[in-house]
Amino acid sequence: MSTENNEDITSRPAGRAARERIYRYVLFLCASLSIFVTVSIVVILARDAVDFFGIVSPVEFFTGTDFLLSRGLYGVLPLVSGTILVTIIAAFIALPVGVAAAVYLSEYASERARSILKPALEVLAGIPTVVYGIFALVYVTPFLQALGLPLNTFNTLSASIMVGIMIIPMVSSLSEDAMSAVPDSLRQAAYGMGATKYEVSTGVVIPAAVSGIFSSFILALSRAIGETMIVVVAMGSRSRLIDFADPLSNLWQGNQPMTAAMVRINGADVVSEAGFKSMFAIGLTLFVITFLMNLASNRIAARYREEYE
Amino acid sequence: MAAPEQDTGFGTGTSGVSRIRGTAFEAVCLAATSFALVTVLVLLLFVAADAFRPLSADPGWHLVYFLTLVVPVLGLAVYYYRLDAPAGEVAYSTTGIPVVGLLVAGGMLVVIVELISVIELFALTLATAVSAGVIVAHGRVRPQAALERLGVIVLAPTVAVFGLPPAEFNTVFNWLTTQLGLGPVLQTRITSLRELVMMVPVLPADWLLLLITLTVPVAGLFGLFMGRRRDSRRDGLALLGGTVVLAAAGFVLGPLVGIGAEAWILATSFTVPPLAFYVEGVVRREEGTAGLVFPVVAVVGVLLGAVLVRQLGFAAPDPWLDVGFLLSPTSRTPADAGIYPALVGSVMMMVVIIVATFPVGVGAAIYLEEYAPSTGLVGKFVTLIEINIGNLAGVPSVVYGLLALALFIRFINMPTGSVIVGALAVGLLILPIVIISAQEAIRAVPDSHRQASYGMGATKWQTTRNVVLPQAMPGILTGTILALGRAIGETAPLLMVGLAASVRLAPNGFFDLGAAMPRQIFSWSTELEPAFRHGVLAAGVVTLLAVLLLMNGTAIVIRNKYQRDS
Repeated sequence: MSTENNEDITSRPAGRAARERIYRYVLFLCASLSIFVTVSIVVILARDAVDFFGIVSPVEFFTGTDFLLSRGLYGVLPLVSGTILVTIIAAFIALPVGVAAAVYLSEYASERARSILKPALEVLAGIPTVVYGIFALVYVTPFLQALGLPLNTFNTLSASIMVGIMIIPMVSSLSEDAMSAVPDSLRQAAYGMGATKYEVSTGVVIPAAVSGIFSSFILALSRAIGETMIVVVAMGSRSRLIDFADPLSNLWQGNQPMTAAMVRINGADVVSEAGFKSMFAIGLTLFVITFLMNLASNRIAARYREEYE
Repeated sequence: MAAPEQDTGFGTGTSGVSRIRGTAFEAVCLAATSFALVTVLVLLLFVAADAFRPLSADPGWHLVYFLTLVVPVLGLAVYYYRLDAPAGEVAYSTTGIPVVGLLVAGGMLVVIVELISVIELFALTLATAVSAGVIVAHGRVRPQAALERLGVIVLAPTVAVFGLPPAEFNTVFNWLTTQLGLGPVLQTRITSLRELVMMVPVLPADWLLLLITLTVPVAGLFGLFMGRRRDSRRDGLALLGGTVVLAAAGFVLGPLVGIGAEAWILATSFTVPPLAFYVEGVVRREEGTAGLVFPVVAVVGVLLGAVLVRQLGFAAPDPWLDVGFLLSPTSRTPADAGIYPALVGSVMMMVVIIVATFPVGVGAAIYLEEYAPSTGLVGKFVTLIEINIGNLAGVPSVVYGLLALALFIRFINMPTGSVIVGALAVGLLILPIVIISAQEAIRAVPDSHRQASYGMGATKWQTTRNVVLPQAMPGILTGTILALGRAIGETAPLLMVGLAASVRLAPNGFFDLGAAMPRQIFSWSTELEPAFRHGVLAAGVVTLLAVLLLMNGTAIVIRNKYQRDS
């Protein structure tokens, strides 16, 4: 540290330019690593997925209604339906609650309440997902059973509730950013016309921030789709299609979303070549879905930022 | 211009109705905000109750500790909160510093017991110190030779620590040439300073080596810092001397207290210097000195409570989460199960993750914020990188596990389930988070400071290193610690790379079969026995959350301090 003081920075000694260039290249390499990660994810997943589709036809994979490794059935539909089920229930909890929390934080909360509630919600986002899974399995399920719901030990409902609670902070934090970005002049204009606080919140702020709110929805749902540990711990390992004849039974029974299926295949003692490779095909499907959702969310979020800056 | 009588759609209802509606709406929004918080809080209380089993204690036990510990501590807290806010902060810091210091010391103790012997540590430290000395000396002797210094910066540590070429490189190279039919080609190499030290036949006892390798540098650093801050070399030397004497006393006192000389030396090395420095500052500033009472009251309360409970014969609670749980391996019988190997595994993974992600993440952030052009072909590429990093942050963790499985285990043949593979999988996962938070910290450095540095003729790298990075460092550290908090709880990637479900012995090296806290917790969650579900599992969850809380707490303290200073 002390050497810098006697360094004469007015002269440019030989080699300094070269050194500067080396630093630039090294730093550039660091930054490019992220591209390398993305490319290797795509290449690796795609390579094994292609192998997989050499053994099992894509038609069978994307239209099959059974996923049973032991019998060599690789239909992805039950896994997708499991993922959709979890995501929908989680969305029912997280989206309204998250937006209402964002409205409260952005429009109603005092400076003091905000300074406590906002970090507290961020803490929720930092709790490991395996802990949420254990909450669902060990505490929420017995509680709901005690309320009289006919739940199995491993069930969709309590896992989905925990997924929903887990993504609430994401919705509320991003939506609140969008609401805070709404210029005060819009609020003042509405107040000037005799609007109440309720009317300003629902009639002015939410519509003005709608693209930001929407982008937070997409991001949160993409998180719910990719959520692994909660569903692995609390939802069991039987995959099944959504039963439309008896909709409620879907909640009471266990299910196996795509993420959980990948973990199960990997953890299985004996697994066939096709079974192992199917993991990559599911992974690729998952990656593509979440990547597109994130991309869309960023696009929408970027648009609302442009509008108000 | 709208005519005043035109219906605007606002405020047309009677004011009474709209007030009720407004109040109801506010209440609903508040309920929504608290919903998740309250739910999780209740669940946490359940877990804590399962882990600590407070009801298994005698009511008298609770009463004693309530009177000796809780009442005085709460009383002081209320006093600080109401009347003396600076003292509250002093109380918080003087209690927190020894706790963090002891945890660091505990971590070091685990490293010494499990990973590298004291002699190895000594050799490593000596080699590092010598190479640092060579680099500094080169800077003094030839301050102008910038490119040459880059060579010295790379070569000196390599020769001192690894030798030239490193032994592992020789092994691999000779293996390759033997495979090609050339026989072992590389016969000679420069032996590293580290290896030379290890060969010395007579070395002082472990506790003395530890004193030299850890206490002296740590206390020396704090002494140097203190000497600079207070502008008095004597204070710094006093700090150094005091710490060394206190630590050396461990040779006698350690065994007396029953913790061994090494543990004593580690504990004093990491708690005494920072605490002495902080307390001296508080006394000197004469602000919030009342806060110094707090840790004393807490310690006295605990001791007094312990004595009273023993005298009165009240039964203590029998918690699942106790010292035995933290220090023993897992077991089929719930009462014997512990988390120690997993804890060690997690700490080792953290080390790899820090080494692997921090330099790369900060480097990437520096490039994107300071160097990256915004136009031309490179500019387009940089935009792509930025978008890509944002998207990578949202990729499901299980996909990173799949990537690590294919890349590290199947492609470059690293051992399945080893500490290093697990750490790299999680490292890739948090890399985008580290980059994004470092970018934000660097962006917050005012441009005028950069311009001033350029105006004095500094180059881009000099500006970055001497102006931007020091200012952005607290922000970067905060972001990194938060990202590490995310890393320590990640489970799915560990499952994918096949980390062991339960390990009896803690991993000895980075290529050993590893265990990790979340992985261990997951395998307990598959046990059906209630003693596991409501006992061992809860204790594991509380341990994990406590580590997490500690990390996040540190991050928040750094952030608050930084925000106040700037």
